[in-house]
Amino acid sequence: MDDLQFRRSIYADPQCTDEDIIQAVAADPSKQKFLNDVQQFDEKLLAALKVPVPDDMAQKLILQQALNSHQQDKKKTKVHLALAASVAITAGLVVKLLMFTSTHDSVAEYAFAHTAHEADYFTNNDDTNVTLASLNEKMTSFSGNFTDKLGDLIFADYCRFDGIKSLHLVYKGITSPVNVFIIPKNDKFTYTQSFSNNRLNGRSEQYKDADVIVVGDKSEPLQKWQENIKATVTWSI
Amino acid sequence: MIKKILGNKNTTSQVSSSMATKQTRYEALVKALHADLFRYAYWLCREKQIAEDLVQETFLRAWRALDSLKDEKAAKSWLITILRRENARRFERKRFDMSEYEEATITDTKAMSSEQDIENHWLREKISLLPEEYREPLVLQVIGGFSGEEIASLLSLNKNTVMTRLFRARNQLKDALEKEPEVRGTYNG
Repeated sequence: MDDLQFRRSIYADPQCTDEDIIQAVAADPSKQKFLNDVQQFDEKLLAALKVPVPDDMAQKLILQQALNSHQQDKKKTKVHLALAASVAITAGLVVKLLMFTSTHDSVAEYAFAHTAHEADYFTNNDDTNVTLASLNEKMTSFSGNFTDKLGDLIFADYCRFDGIKSLHLVYKGITSPVNVFIIPKNDKFTYTQSFSNNRLNGRSEQYKDADVIVVGDKSEPLQKWQENIKATVTWSI
Repeated sequence: MIKKILGNKNTTSQVSSSMATKQTRYEALVKALHADLFRYAYWLCREKQIAEDLVQETFLRAWRALDSLKDEKAAKSWLITILRRENARRFERKRFDMSEYEEATITDTKAMSSEQDIENHWLREKISLLPEEYREPLVLQVIGGFSGEEIASLLSLNKNTVMTRLFRARNQLKDALEKEPEVRGTYNG
């Protein structure tokens, strides 16, 4: 190994343990001296490179990490809270949707279902103590007014007609009560003028401000009812 | 969803114990390597405050990625890689060029009492005047104790380039040492 190459190797790495370097050092005292010089210089170099480290640095780094992960925990709690809130909102929306979306395709189907559902509560023998005044009070929300009694009124109150706030009137019929639904205008239903199933008949009539559906059993002359309604109800502008 | 949340509760103790392990690992890492890392950072940017910031940022990132560190022996070079990336980011953020510094701004406020201190101070000045490409491998070799191959892989250079730079670094320092003995003398007065 020539001298220049030896010096280059030692300068590049004074701790070099290559076999040929060790041999060269052993064979030549001047190379041994050079190696010692450079290694001594490297010790000085190490001392110089070891600049003083701030005393409390390790503590600072640990503290910084503790604060930082605490901060992240707080963020996580917030995320959980936000998640819970959005789940609650979604649940609320789903319930609302289930409750207020129409489950019936046609108005006929719903009118029959509604009538059948409440049939147990009304009979022809019930008291007919609903006055015209209280009926008209309720009718104001539908911009209508009864000028006269349509028949013997057993019951008159608001109800949800497939999710839409409507007025449900129950009159004494020939054999069983007659149901009249007054439904505000909406684009939810498609009306058919008359409809029936094996037990009930129904008729619908559309007015300017509301639609009126009459449901009664087979013995009831529904067309007559509709004509009477047309004659007694005035719709305000 | 609810099951998941409840499930989490059952494994809380497990999670917190693994958190404790992580904490222990982290603290051990900080204690063992912060000094070397700070010195490396210092010689990279030659400013104490920036070096401290770099080390802080490095350990923060190290904490977040601690699970990816499988081999504790590789911890030092892992941290150095993070620190180098942080340092590069610093230059992306503000483009002041540190190599523009003609005068090394080494503020050693300690009273220079002994011969050793004077020598250190003098050498530090010379080291900080070395081109960065020579200084960095030298610091990695002398302080980090990395081999030529390891430095090459840390700096993405080939080994011959690294050895040449190490040679030139020492050569320049030796030259400076031999040229300016009278400058060193002035500190003695």
